[in-house]
Amino acid sequence: MEKLTVDSLRTLARAQGLELDDTELASLLPLVEAGRNGIAAMGDIPPHVEPSSQFRQL
Amino acid sequence: MSDLCWTSMTDLAQMVAARKVSPVEIVQAHLGRISALDGQIKSYITVTGEAALASAKAAEAAVQSGAELGPLHGVPMGLKDLYCTKGVKTTGGSKILADWAPDEDATVVTRLAAAGAISLGKLNMHEFAYGPEGLNPHYGTPWNPWDATVHRICGGSSSGSGASVAAGICPGALGSDTGGSIRLPSALCGLTGIKPTYGRVSRAGVLPLAWSMDHVGPMCRSAADCALMLAAMAGYDPRDSTTSVLPVPDYAAALTGQVKGLRIGLLRAFFLDSAGAQQRAAVEAAAKALEGQGATVEMVDLDMVKLAPAASHAVLAPEAYAYHEQWLKTRAAEYGADVRERLRVGAFVTGAEYLKGQRLRSLLKAEVDAALAKLDVLMAPSTAIDAPPVGQTEVRIGSETVPVRASLIRFTRPFNLTGHPAASTPCGFTTDGLPMGMQIIGRPFDEATVLRVADAYQRITDWHTRRPPLAA
Repeated sequence: MEKLTVDSLRTLARAQGLELDDTELASLLPLVEAGRNGIAAMGDIPPHVEPSSQFRQL
Repeated sequence: MSDLCWTSMTDLAQMVAARKVSPVEIVQAHLGRISALDGQIKSYITVTGEAALASAKAAEAAVQSGAELGPLHGVPMGLKDLYCTKGVKTTGGSKILADWAPDEDATVVTRLAAAGAISLGKLNMHEFAYGPEGLNPHYGTPWNPWDATVHRICGGSSSGSGASVAAGICPGALGSDTGGSIRLPSALCGLTGIKPTYGRVSRAGVLPLAWSMDHVGPMCRSAADCALMLAAMAGYDPRDSTTSVLPVPDYAAALTGQVKGLRIGLLRAFFLDSAGAQQRAAVEAAAKALEGQGATVEMVDLDMVKLAPAASHAVLAPEAYAYHEQWLKTRAAEYGADVRERLRVGAFVTGAEYLKGQRLRSLLKAEVDAALAKLDVLMAPSTAIDAPPVGQTEVRIGSETVPVRASLIRFTRPFNLTGHPAASTPCGFTTDGLPMGMQIIGRPFDEATVLRVADAYQRITDWHTRRPPLAA
């Protein structure tokens, strides 16, 4: 996975309509990185596994 | 100080029905205690004293007239300030909603009122329920009543609910739980709280943090009181499509005090193995105590649970961002710094990552279901640590230094992902005199067994009856 930078995070934020200054982006960067790394570390989930749905018809 | 403020909800309801005490006396006693203590404890954002007294007078008149009484008739309670209350400010602990008064009640508020409960007001919380410490920069951070000298966190996000019930300021309260926000403050404040099965209790009219992980439930001073409140709240609600039509059992009748033959799984890897030494010892001692009552106990390991933090992030962060997106673009400065930053992180989780988290949930849920196919309940510490001082961000567990936030939610959030019912009950005190909690996790929609185990444990211990020094 490509490593994020403040500039790439700014681009992603703007695409979402979020205008963040350099200080805010620098503060967010390690949190976003940690989240992405954690999700990546989940590894491959078997293809037959569907998303959980708590929405019950019981 | 009135003993009425330390009387259980169960006993208060019986005393009112038997005309031994008036609802007006009960409400006045609690309002007096709010005046005396809440300047320091900061458990309430809004006290609805006049309305509570008016309701108490009506409740008294109903008793005098011989009317049929609900199971909570004349009993006060508090509402975490994310439950919508018609005409009464519902802030979510935020500045953004500081002046918002909804035009209808949350379903559970309506149901508790129909059962006769009287709201004393709206309770403090971590802003928009997004934090396990229970901090609040707008209304002040509630003070944990178990330390009169050091300002310690109550645990969150239902910190005001924890502080108020622990301090005898109200006998029971509603919390909400997306990663542990009922169980954490219950553990750190010495209370009993239950996060019911997802779908057991309506979320209609409750400000969301993450729709698919939010649960609502009671926080009280005993399992019996939780049973009383939960029975009044639970059941299908057409306003919440995720609620179940399964019938609500008689929770109070399930509290037999018996655990003989019950099969308990003690969660080892990830849970006991990474808890503080005192928390681990307390839960192991509790398991022994239940074994002494005839239960069988075996160690259990859940392999998938180590991935729960990442899955929780993948699901919770974008759901929270989705709810707050417009305010983050137009009123960002009005959020507290910690919550604003946490919410913004959710903007950077992709759709594929979100679904990966949801798929991991399927595996985790299947693993917990498999464990509970052979066992009646699982047990684990509620938290790895006791209540740290406000502002402390790291803590020592054994030889490791770990973040406070992660240590608080590590053991609770897996069951927000799986939706299983999970309670926290007091199981001892640290050498610093701070409460510790034990989680009891049950099969989907089997809150009755979870509460039965908690109640049976409370019948052979007195942890839940102790009073904090600040509120003595």
